[in-house]
Amino acid sequence: MSESPRRTPPLRWRLRHILPYYRQNLWAFVLGFLLLVATSATAALIPYLMKLATEALTHRGTNDTLQETVLILILVALLNAILRIRSRTHIFAIGRQVEYALRKAYHAKLLSLDAAFFNRSKTGDLVARGNTDVLAVRMFIGPGFLQVANTAMVYAVTLPVMIALNPTLTFLALLPFPIILGLTRLLTTRLYRLSRAVADRFGLFSGFVQEAVAGMAVIRAHAREEDWQRRFADEVQEIYSAQMRHTRLQSLFGPLVLLAGGAGIWIILLVGGQEVMTGHLTVGDFVAFSGYLAILVWPTVGFGWILTVLQRGLAALERISQVLDTEPFALLPGEQGHALPKVTLARGEIRVRGLHFAHNEPILHGIDLQLPAGSFVGLAGRIGCGKTTLLHCLARLYAVPEGTVWLDGQDLLSVPEEALRQTVALAQQESFLFSTTIRENMTLGSPNASEAEIWEAARMACFDEEICRFPDQLDTLVGERGITLSGGQRQRLSLARALLMDPAVLLLDDIFSSVDARTEARILDNIHALADSRRRTIILVCHRTAALHRAEAIYLLEKGRIAAQGTHAELMRNAPLYQSLHQQMIRHEALESLQ
Amino acid sequence: MMPPVLAETEETRDGNLFNMHPYRLLWRFFRYARPYRGWVATALTLLPVAALLQLWQPLLIQQAVDHHLLPGRAEGFGAILLLFLLLILGQFAVGYLQSAVNTLLGQRLVRDMRRELFAHLLRMDAAFFAHNASGRLTNRISNDTEAVSQMISAGMINLLGDLLLLLGIAVSMVLLSPRLSLVTLVALPIIVLGTLYITRRMRTIQRKGRLLQARMAGHLTEEVEGRETIRLFHSQAKNRATYDGMNRAYLETALQANFFEAFQFSFIDATSTVVIALLFWYGGFLYGDAGISIGVVVAFIDYIRRLFFPIREISGKFTTMQSAITALERIFALLDTAPGIVDHEPVQVLRPPVKGAIAFRQLHFRYGSEPVLQGIELHIAPGERIAVVGPTGAGKSSLIKLLNRTYEPQQGMIAIDGVDIRRLPLAQLRRLVGMVQQETFLFAGSVAENIHLGDPEITPERVRQAAEETGAMAFIASLPQGLATPLAERGVNLSAGQRQLLGITRVLAFQPRILVMDEATSSVDTLSERLIQEAVERLMAGRTSLIIAHRLSTILHADRIIVLSGGRIAEQGSHTSLLAHDGLYARLYALQFAEGREQAVDGVG
Repeated sequence: MSESPRRTPPLRWRLRHILPYYRQNLWAFVLGFLLLVATSATAALIPYLMKLATEALTHRGTNDTLQETVLILILVALLNAILRIRSRTHIFAIGRQVEYALRKAYHAKLLSLDAAFFNRSKTGDLVARGNTDVLAVRMFIGPGFLQVANTAMVYAVTLPVMIALNPTLTFLALLPFPIILGLTRLLTTRLYRLSRAVADRFGLFSGFVQEAVAGMAVIRAHAREEDWQRRFADEVQEIYSAQMRHTRLQSLFGPLVLLAGGAGIWIILLVGGQEVMTGHLTVGDFVAFSGYLAILVWPTVGFGWILTVLQRGLAALERISQVLDTEPFALLPGEQGHALPKVTLARGEIRVRGLHFAHNEPILHGIDLQLPAGSFVGLAGRIGCGKTTLLHCLARLYAVPEGTVWLDGQDLLSVPEEALRQTVALAQQESFLFSTTIRENMTLGSPNASEAEIWEAARMACFDEEICRFPDQLDTLVGERGITLSGGQRQRLSLARALLMDPAVLLLDDIFSSVDARTEARILDNIHALADSRRRTIILVCHRTAALHRAEAIYLLEKGRIAAQGTHAELMRNAPLYQSLHQQMIRHEALESLQ
Repeated sequence: MMPPVLAETEETRDGNLFNMHPYRLLWRFFRYARPYRGWVATALTLLPVAALLQLWQPLLIQQAVDHHLLPGRAEGFGAILLLFLLLILGQFAVGYLQSAVNTLLGQRLVRDMRRELFAHLLRMDAAFFAHNASGRLTNRISNDTEAVSQMISAGMINLLGDLLLLLGIAVSMVLLSPRLSLVTLVALPIIVLGTLYITRRMRTIQRKGRLLQARMAGHLTEEVEGRETIRLFHSQAKNRATYDGMNRAYLETALQANFFEAFQFSFIDATSTVVIALLFWYGGFLYGDAGISIGVVVAFIDYIRRLFFPIREISGKFTTMQSAITALERIFALLDTAPGIVDHEPVQVLRPPVKGAIAFRQLHFRYGSEPVLQGIELHIAPGERIAVVGPTGAGKSSLIKLLNRTYEPQQGMIAIDGVDIRRLPLAQLRRLVGMVQQETFLFAGSVAENIHLGDPEITPERVRQAAEETGAMAFIASLPQGLATPLAERGVNLSAGQRQLLGITRVLAFQPRILVMDEATSSVDTLSERLIQEAVERLMAGRTSLIIAHRLSTILHADRIIVLSGGRIAEQGSHTSLLAHDGLYARLYALQFAEGREQAVDGVG
């Protein structure tokens, strides 16, 4: 990775989100370090014991010493194994714990962020940060620490022993190592970039295939198969080339490590061999040296590799930090630490005064509404007149200006989130269903609902009979985005979910668009019954004017303004737009029933 | 290295449960290697060379120790040093070649396989795509093939290499000293069984970990997509708990994996040291007899250190092979799905000029078990303009989709200029019949590319001319780079009306003899409505056309109106005669078209 010319921020700041974890785990790190020291010390004993064994073997007749050495060798090997397992699991566990905590923090942060943040982020990217990047940070903390500490320890313990045995030979045998370190570092950085290129290519390739499959009807309708086959061949060739560029370097890695070890042995043979022949060194020393060299090769290579891991970990941490540093926009003064009066909202009176709202372009222009608690009103108008936007404003999905909307006399902005959600429920035309059971989806907002309450909500949404026909009833899985349900079933499940909240304010946004006329009538009856109980304020948005007959008042929206208001009969008399909408609905229904 | 897990796939969910003749699958797969026989031969030749280069090194050290170091004899030592140097350099070169050749081979096979898969998809018909999710098909071509490439580059050939190396080490040890080999032999079952056990456990744990990772990613994706619902129902606490459950389970799996990883690492290290210790101990008894020398012991130490590597590798490679074979199974299953709509022999090419007369003869069509069209008999003269009307579900869109063989009728036939369309080459038929769909699918690419669709015959001049004729040029010119403006994914930066105009322009640029069109019902503003109307009229000029009408102007401009109901032609004739008849058409007209202008602007419920 090329360093940008701008000054990099201090490491302390870059690590701000994981430093607390380091502090928490300080003693764990210390213990891990001590375990590593012990591991390295026992590991360094092994080649020395082999030297003793070789020497004992050379001077025959000292079978007792040999047996003793062999016994010690076995014991040390076992001790070393236990220590190594302990130290590795201990240090990696710290990384895993931090990974867990970081992932948790990231997830909680995502849940707290709002539309403004998500609108400028891509889903895939956010998911990747929560997965791949968290993984990279874990590598930074666990293996990163282990490798750096391990390399330091191995050298600290092994090098003095080797120098004590023979300084010249040590120096010469280690000659290839700096080269290895440099090459590994160079290779891993380059390889990282090349493998990113392969991954990017692969992403483009998948996108290409996805698009081709989606547009297959057009490709075939215009007989463009050959052209696409050619373009596909080019795409595949691009991947191939990227992959081969990666392979040309990647293939160096393994052989290079072997070469380093081999070269060390060769140097020992070259220099040490002379010394053994002249009697300055024993064969045992020779065995010990090749043993030490074997101990040193991997930590050295690992060190070159880990520098890249650390770098990637820092980059990944940066990407996660960006999200962790984001704050929800000024939607909720209530969540900025202001002490809010703990009011229990229950009545559901809504007042709107001069509400203007723009989302890229102006949508609502000075809406005024006064809905007493327990009223049942309708919103009508053409597509795009602002009905849905108005409901979203009332449900505080969009940030309305202060002093425009009041709920039970309290400015909507100052209502605490939890209280608001318990008071206001919105059933959307296209509501999101999670890939879990019907029950889980229904109780999303009311996890403590009783079985009877669930069935009652399902009955009111006319979904109970169908649930009964599913093999697992309420525990039937609905698939991704509810794919195993029909459009009408999805819509009724969403309605049941909102009804189950038992809210003081019920906002129903075009909930009949995928439901057949008979079911619609039955649901409407249930809603009317609900309205008659006057325990709820209900706002019904509907394209079918027939559904609005019983509303106490209908507000007719036109281009973001309230063009007319009155009962169905009143509007039919004096609002041409409403009449036209009504005619259109009648025609449409007649057309539907025509066979 | 495993690829990052970002979503649940067949691999992470089901693991590898193949039950369909793995050998047959492999055998079929080998055919893909035929063009690369040379490379396969190279890869196979390199195997014994690499093994030899490795096996020779301990032997050289034995010779050096026994014949030169211990007796202190310098002559000949230089030759050994030189040979050793050559061996390690050779090992480096061969190792590099092996890795490069194996990857090259895997990538080339996969490149061919991907091309074959894609070519196969291009031949499949609409019914196939209706039943296969696009994500799954994309997975076949990208991920499954990648698994297969892994099998070549990391699995199959190296597996042979590892087996060869193991065998070589065993033979060398026995040749050096049969009795010392006994010690190793005693330890061998422990090593093999231990390694197998650990790798097996590791595999189960790793798979569980990957599945949990996939689940967490899936959960995160859903939460991001369904964030509005989460906010509305204030279910953050519940979501946090669910995610925490998975996160915690993943932590536990990870800790288990940690232990086994560390255990595997240390087990191999410790076992080899213990075996070496036993070697010294047993060597002490044998020293001097039976040709046991210090050099032999040193060489044995070296061999034992080399022994563990291939054992560990082999079991990992079986996993790679296993997942590749399941991927192969899925790939071949896709390749074996025959396309439903193909040219019928003998193929008959229509010679220009094509007049464009269409005849539907006793046409019956079922979709699944549901009858859609029943006994359609319809003759259309060249250049005639037909408007098709009828209630929802009458079979209107099936009628036009049969004409370009998107679907195939079960009975009866369609003829163009007297030739059965099944005898026409598909490519010719589809160039002959231009189809404007309700929804215009736009590819990521420039506006011009979306008009000519990469056809070299459609010159930039022709693209421009078509755009001007349909009036699409007016809005295209206002785009930042005109015709060269790139369109965002699926053309989201265009309005519905603009997309329809582009769709019409596209068909006009292809200059088909016959026009079929499913008029869009979606609402567009009044200006676009007029533009589209004019564009359609221009498109119909001089062509035989068959249009599912949703606009008043279309039925008024038609030469003949066909009224479909319940899959049959209920009425047909001119607008005035049908109105006079006062049947289904008259009712349809009153409901759908009489006040049509306003309705088309507003759209319906």
